[in-house]
Amino acid sequence: MQVSKATWLQRLLVLAAFALCFFVTAFARADVALLNVSYDPTRELYREINEAFAAEWRAKSKEVVRIRQSHGGSGSQARAVIDGIDADVVTLALAGDIDTIAAATKKIPADWQKRLPDNSSPYTSTIVFLVRAGNPKQVKDWDDLARPGIQVITPNPKTSGGARWNYLAAWAYGLEKFKDEQKARDFVAAIFKNVPVMDTGARGSTNTFAQRGLGDVLLAWENEAYLALNELGKDKFEIIVPSLSILAEPPVTIVDGNVDRKKTRAAAEAYLQFLYSPRAQAIIAKNYYRPSKPEHAKPEDLARFPKLKLVSIDSDFGGWDATQKKHFSDGAIFDAILRGNR
Amino acid sequence: MHDLQKAAPSVTDESNVARYVLIALALGFLALFLVLPLAVVFTQAFSKGLGAYVAALTHPDALAAIKLTLTVAAIAVPLNIVFGIAASWAIAKHEFRGKSLLITLVDLPFSVSPVVSGLVFVLLFGAQGLLGPWLREHNIEIIFALPGIVLATIFVTFPFVARELIPLMQDQGSADEEAALTLGASGIRAFLTVTLPNIRWALLYGVLLCNARAMGEFGAVAVVSGHIRGETNTMPLHVEILYNEYNFAASFAVASLLALLALVTLCIKTWLEWRYADALAAGRRH
Amino acid sequence: MDIFVEHITKNYVARETGSPAALDDVSLHIRSGELLALLGPSGSGKTTLLRVIAGLEFANRGRIRFGDLDATGIPVQKRGVGFVFQHYALFRHMNVFDNIAYGLRVRERATRPPEAEIRRRVEELLSLVQLATFEDRYPAQLSGGQRQRVALARALAIEPRMLLLDEPFGALDARVRKDLRRWLREIHDRTGQTTIFVTHDQEEALGIADRVAILKDGRIEQVGTPDEVHDDPASPFVMTFIGDTAALNVNIRNGAVLHAGKRLPIVGSSAGEGPGTLYVRPGHVQLAQTAGASLTGRVVSLRRFSSGQRAEVRLHGTGELVEAELPAGSHVNSGQDVGVNLGQVRIFR
Repeated sequence: MQVSKATWLQRLLVLAAFALCFFVTAFARADVALLNVSYDPTRELYREINEAFAAEWRAKSKEVVRIRQSHGGSGSQARAVIDGIDADVVTLALAGDIDTIAAATKKIPADWQKRLPDNSSPYTSTIVFLVRAGNPKQVKDWDDLARPGIQVITPNPKTSGGARWNYLAAWAYGLEKFKDEQKARDFVAAIFKNVPVMDTGARGSTNTFAQRGLGDVLLAWENEAYLALNELGKDKFEIIVPSLSILAEPPVTIVDGNVDRKKTRAAAEAYLQFLYSPRAQAIIAKNYYRPSKPEHAKPEDLARFPKLKLVSIDSDFGGWDATQKKHFSDGAIFDAILRGNR
Repeated sequence: MHDLQKAAPSVTDESNVARYVLIALALGFLALFLVLPLAVVFTQAFSKGLGAYVAALTHPDALAAIKLTLTVAAIAVPLNIVFGIAASWAIAKHEFRGKSLLITLVDLPFSVSPVVSGLVFVLLFGAQGLLGPWLREHNIEIIFALPGIVLATIFVTFPFVARELIPLMQDQGSADEEAALTLGASGIRAFLTVTLPNIRWALLYGVLLCNARAMGEFGAVAVVSGHIRGETNTMPLHVEILYNEYNFAASFAVASLLALLALVTLCIKTWLEWRYADALAAGRRH
Repeated sequence: MDIFVEHITKNYVARETGSPAALDDVSLHIRSGELLALLGPSGSGKTTLLRVIAGLEFANRGRIRFGDLDATGIPVQKRGVGFVFQHYALFRHMNVFDNIAYGLRVRERATRPPEAEIRRRVEELLSLVQLATFEDRYPAQLSGGQRQRVALARALAIEPRMLLLDEPFGALDARVRKDLRRWLREIHDRTGQTTIFVTHDQEEALGIADRVAILKDGRIEQVGTPDEVHDDPASPFVMTFIGDTAALNVNIRNGAVLHAGKRLPIVGSSAGEGPGTLYVRPGHVQLAQTAGASLTGRVVSLRRFSSGQRAEVRLHGTGELVEAELPAGSHVNSGQDVGVNLGQVRIFR
């Protein structure tokens, strides 16, 4: 009895040691490994991009590159980079989150957004509405979201990049319509009064709307809305395009501090350059992101994007810094709206 | 005597009603909150057929998640056995200043939210954390890598072994060990031949529970994992990711594996209880 | 093996009670081959002293010698003491045979006897403790007395230099206790093992020990044969702790012992002058006719003992209580006035 006990312990220890060796050897295959820290809805996009890039990089440099992906709410992903996750590139939902990384870690220069074309945004998107099949509540435009009796699903602008775009699109519409800041604010407040739950990320909200069947309208990224349509059934949902929305520019950059330490700068820079290549631009359009170089996309993919009036964060809101302070900081307008609605 | 016999059935009759109501309530509750969800997990997992189920589990990302989970458990559980035995030994068999503080600390992971447990390690080892710069300088990765996940898991599962052992060891006292020492046994020998056999069933319980939790932990691991696909995603995290990607069958396939693990744990526990009922009773009676 | 306890001092907080137990400059010589009882109330330090001798605890100051060997720094494993615990401390997952063989099996390979020799030794011990047919039983299947016998056999198996027993019979019922006591004495006489046992039961100590050491508050009050400590106690504590006593307030003037102003017919008192306390055991109190007796009182109650009968007498004047052992066939009634004569007494000032 005593003997069997001792060997039992020994066996466990051997097992643990074996498992450790197993793990250490498991990830030693690729020549270069890049880590792309991205926001929630880009999983499908980057799965395709990464494959294409790996093939191209191999042909060009004879190196096997493996791109690892991490997805989450844009804000919390930025936080992870600040806390030390070894990202070679970050591809987040908004420039503000990358600014935060730059300020907190100094691993990214302050003028990072000027390093790549189109404000470092190889693709853009916008905010549209997803409603249930047949549009039973007759939702046509932003005005309908402020109607009493409508339930609107959006994530929390405090944690989700997409939700900030949702909020700003609503604000832009209100301002356009009433030409008065206070009235725009009341308009946005009326919409958020109709929000029963706020998830922390875009995917969470999509699931709340599509899976749990909550709400009449989902405010969603254009690409996210199309994806939900494809994945969950074209017969179940419809996309409604409002008369005005916001031009969302999800930017990308390398994390200089990390690539220099890991000696991966060449691959990382090539990876981001690749996003602007004809090949990648076609993939981007295919995944319902609006390509920055539409000439490379397939015409039938482009034809799916409705024409609508888009306002921009820089020309209409004065940039992310000002917007963040005015609307989303603690005690700013968004907090006041939530308090007022309670 | 006669009166008693007549009175007896009526008394039990009444309590029978209460008993059946209670049993029905308990069973209904179990069915609603345990059996039904389990059934849903398995039907969802096989909703696209056995082929899809196998494909989901043999996908490289899923395999990586399974491997990572097993690795984490294989490191965390043995370490917690050692820590747990050491802590219970110290608490049960020695008097020292701050003992009650130590008992409280052992329980801490139970009372702290797992998310906070994870954040503690981010604050300690993160780039902005206390030890972050030093670790970076020496190229040691802790957070968003295996060591961080192991640390968070150890933290969260620490109490399981210790909590099983402390009351038992306190109850048993140290006379057995002292007897072994007077008979000439070395400290290690006394531990292996006397202490360990005395606590083996409680230890096994603790290890089972510890292992189940180590493999199933979500909150604390989610905070320190960094969600790097195929690398720092454990099985529970992988379940969530697949779910968020509208990949429900695959998500539930991995979830069913976790559920299976729980069921196996339960079966082993029950089997042990049944198989060693005598030994357990004797151990307690003594 | 002579054991010398020399100036042992230990400050210590007992785990079980949390109360401070200490040894205060204790010196004691245990003679080779004797059976010595450490007697005292709980908290007197007797168990601590035993554990210090065994090496289970270490003193802050002082030395322990086994014959010529200084054992003070020797760890418990190397002291070669057979220790028997109050609650047996048998290994519950081993059967009786394995329990007894344990001390032989844990020896280093060089000194470990072959398995056949171990078997012979264990069987010998099993028959010594009269448990020859019990070798396959587990401790949980034995009675308390049987367990304690196994514990003793286990301690003897390592051929210890000495045998130390900590309240060996404390957890047993009265009848088994008595049998085991006699049996322990027999074993001791047969093996000639130097033996120390701790007890709080004075009857047990006086009944089987060659000598008794009485402890109080971490000090040794008196060491002597049972007769010595019983008949010639060195202090009021020993007097009252060993056997029943009555205490009377007295005054000593010019060598005469005065009780409530009356002179008692007591000789040979060397207690000095002034107020003191007179102690007398029930066996040394005789009841008599009131006339001519040195003290008088009234019988308050009569009590039956297994050995005889005792009368409790309240003395006239002072109201003090005195117990008297009645010889067989005496006729005394409750409420009766009696005279009281004192035989052997001790006076402490």
